[in-house]
Amino acid sequence: MASQIKAEILTDHAANAALNTPLPPAIGRNAKDLSADGLLSPLDERIIAAASEALEAGQTHYVDVPGIAPLREAIAESVNAASGATYAAGNIIVTAGAQESRFLTIQKIGETFDNIAVPAVAHPGAQKALGVRARQVVSLPVDATRGYLPAVDAIAKAVDAGARLLYLESPSRLTGAAYSSEEIAAIGQILRESGASAICDQGLGVWVDGGVASLAAMEDAPAQITTIGEAYPGMGLASWFIGYIAAPEEHIPAMQSQKQIMAICTSTAAQFAALEASGLFAEAQASKIAQLKRLKREILASAASLNLDAIAGDALNLVALRAADVADKLRGVGFDVADGGAFGAPAVIRLNVNAATADAIKALS
Amino acid sequence: MSKKKAQGTNLLYQLIGEARGYDDVIIMGRGDPDFDTPPHIVAAAKEAMIKNHADYTPPEGLLALREAIAERVKRVNDIDVDPASEVVVTNGGQEALFLMVLAVIAPGDELIVPEPNYNTYADSLAFAGGRKVEVQTYAESDFRADPAEVRAAISDRTRALLLVSPNNPAASVISPADMREMLDIAIERDLMVIADDIYDLFVYDDYEHVSPASLPGGKERTLTLNALSKAYSMTGWRLGWIVGPADIMARVKELKAAISGGTSVISQHAGIAALTGPQDAVEMMAEAYRRRRRLVLDALDAMGMKYGLPQGGQFVFADIGFTGMDSGEVAQRILSEQHVLAYPGSAFSKDRKDYLRMTFLQPEDQLIEGLERMKVAMAKIVAER
Repeated sequence: MASQIKAEILTDHAANAALNTPLPPAIGRNAKDLSADGLLSPLDERIIAAASEALEAGQTHYVDVPGIAPLREAIAESVNAASGATYAAGNIIVTAGAQESRFLTIQKIGETFDNIAVPAVAHPGAQKALGVRARQVVSLPVDATRGYLPAVDAIAKAVDAGARLLYLESPSRLTGAAYSSEEIAAIGQILRESGASAICDQGLGVWVDGGVASLAAMEDAPAQITTIGEAYPGMGLASWFIGYIAAPEEHIPAMQSQKQIMAICTSTAAQFAALEASGLFAEAQASKIAQLKRLKREILASAASLNLDAIAGDALNLVALRAADVADKLRGVGFDVADGGAFGAPAVIRLNVNAATADAIKALS
Repeated sequence: MSKKKAQGTNLLYQLIGEARGYDDVIIMGRGDPDFDTPPHIVAAAKEAMIKNHADYTPPEGLLALREAIAERVKRVNDIDVDPASEVVVTNGGQEALFLMVLAVIAPGDELIVPEPNYNTYADSLAFAGGRKVEVQTYAESDFRADPAEVRAAISDRTRALLLVSPNNPAASVISPADMREMLDIAIERDLMVIADDIYDLFVYDDYEHVSPASLPGGKERTLTLNALSKAYSMTGWRLGWIVGPADIMARVKELKAAISGGTSVISQHAGIAALTGPQDAVEMMAEAYRRRRRLVLDALDAMGMKYGLPQGGQFVFADIGFTGMDSGEVAQRILSEQHVLAYPGSAFSKDRKDYLRMTFLQPEDQLIEGLERMKVAMAKIVAER
C-alpha cells in the first residue's frame, strides 16, 4: 500500500522551491567545468605535511565546537587584515565550508529578527538555507548596471520599511562586483542610524586586486556585522569544506550551539590544514591575483571581440556574461558554466577564470 | 550562560569545558573512543592528499565511498541500497541525525521517542518545529521500549518513530521480535521510521542487532544513519551517512546541500579505506570494550549500584538515586571534587535525574581509578545528607 505520509513529505519537498534551488559546486570537476567560484589549486606540500603530522599525532578526535583555538586566532587575524575589522578569536566559528556559514548565520541570527532582507540576486546557497526552515524574506531589488548588487538606495528603502537584518554579498557571487568604499560608507551610515545588522558574504574579496571595502571595518561593526566566507581559498582546500563566521559576541552562543547540534565540530584534518594554509596564504594570494588578472584580461578581450556583454566585476576569479543563450553551446563543446537563473538573474551566466576559460570564449566564435 | 541554568546539551558542554581544566581528569562522559584512528586509515588520507585527490565531491559524497557504504550496510545490516540514489554522506552521525529529522518532520509533527535518548534528537526536533512524544523505558526491564506503549503514544500528528538500537544513553538493544513489531506498527499506522544504527557493531552477550530497514516492508519507510566515529575511532573526521529509499533520499540530498554543501573529501578518502580495508582494528576495539564493560559492571556491582544491563553501546546508565541528589549536581560534584567526567541523566531526559551515563572509552586502569574516585565522591554526598 502506498504511504500517504511519504507522499505528503514528497509533496512538501516538491513545493519548496527555495530548498530545491540548484547549488553550484564549490570547486569544478575539471578545468573545463567553469561553474564553480573556487580555484582549482594543488595542495602545497607544507599543508599536506602539517595535516598528516596532526593526524599521525592522534588529532583524530572531537575538537572544540567553534574550532581549534590557533585557527580561530589565525582566521580573526586574516579577516581583520583583509577588511580592517577588529574581530577576536572569540568572534570566530570555524565551519564546514561557506554553505554551513550561510546556513548558520541566516537561520540563527535570522531567528532573532522578524525578517531578513536578501538581494534578489545572490548565491543560491542563501535561498537553499532559507528553504530549510521558512523565514520571512524581504527581497532587495538589485541594480543590473551595478553588477546586480542592491543599490544603496534600495537598502535604505528596505531599512526604512523595517528590515533590521540584511544579507549582502560583496563581491557578488554571480558577477564579482563589489561595493566601493563610498557605497560601503553609505551602507554603514544606514546601519548605524537604524541599528540594523548585516551578514556579509565577502568570501570572494580575496580575489579583488587591492582588496574590498568591508562593512566589518565600520566603527560599530563588532556589534552589528557578521562576516562569512571560505577559509583560505585558492589553497587547494575547497573540497575540504572549511569556512568561517566572524560574528558579534552576542550571536556566537546560539550559532555555536546549533553547530554542535548539526555537526559537533569541523573536521580536525581540515582545521590543521587550514591552520598551515594561514601562514602561506598571503604569498600565494599575491601570485594568484597576478595570474588571474592576466587571464581575466585575455578573457574579457576575447569576449569583447565577439561582442559578448561582459559584466564588470571586481573579483578576478570569475567572469559574468549577459549571454544566457550561449550556455548550451558551451556545454555542447564540453564546458560547464553556472546559470544565473539559480542566482536570480536568468539572463546571466558565470564562468570561473582559469586557463581553459579563454578557450571557452573562443569556442563561441 | 550561568552554570545553574545549563540544561541538556549545554550542560554537557559546560562540564566538558570544566573537565578540560584538570590535568588529571578521567573522561567517562563523552562518547569519544580513547583509541586513535587506525594507521592504515590515516595513511590513506595522506596518500589522497599527495595524489591531489582534494578534488570535486558532490553534496551526496564520492561514488566510491557510497559504494563502500552500500556494501557495508548490506554485509552488516542486510539493507539493500543503490549507491547512486540511496546513500548520502554526511559530516558525521550528528549531521545525519539532523538531516533525518529535517527530512521527515514538519512543524507541528510528532516524533515518537523511547526515553531516555540522545539529547540531540530533541534539539533537532526543536529546530524543525516538531514535538517529541516520549515513551518511557525503565532500568528494571533493561530500558526495553514496549511496542504496546509506542502504539498507545501515536496520534493523528505522529509522523515517525525513532528507533535507536543500541540506545544512547540506556544501552538497550531492540530485540528482533520487538523490532518486527515496531515496524508493523509503523506500517499499520503509516509512519516513517528514523533508525540510528551508530552502535550496531557493539552488541554484547547474546543480544542481536536488527536494522528495521532490513525487514520486509522496512526499507521504503526507513531512514538509517551510521558513522565511522565509534567503530573506527574517527570522531574528528566527521564522516557519517544516511541510507534510505531513493525518493526521500532526494530530499535528504537537497537538505545536505543547503546545510553544508558537502563533506570533506579527505575524510571521504579515509572513509573508503576504513570500510574497504582490514577490519582487525575494529575487532580489537570491540574486544576491548567487552572487557571494559565487564570491568565497569563488576565495579558497579561491588558498589551496590543499580543499572540497566548494557546490551550494546559503549556506556552504562547507572542509577544514582541513592545519593538523593539531582544527577546534574552529582556529575558536577564528581567532576569538581574528583576530576571524573560522567554525564548526568538529566541532560538526556528531564525524567532521568537519578542516572549517570558512564562510558567505557578509557584504558582499564583509568576506568578503575575513575570508578574509585566516583565512589569516594558519592560516599561523601551520601554522608552529607
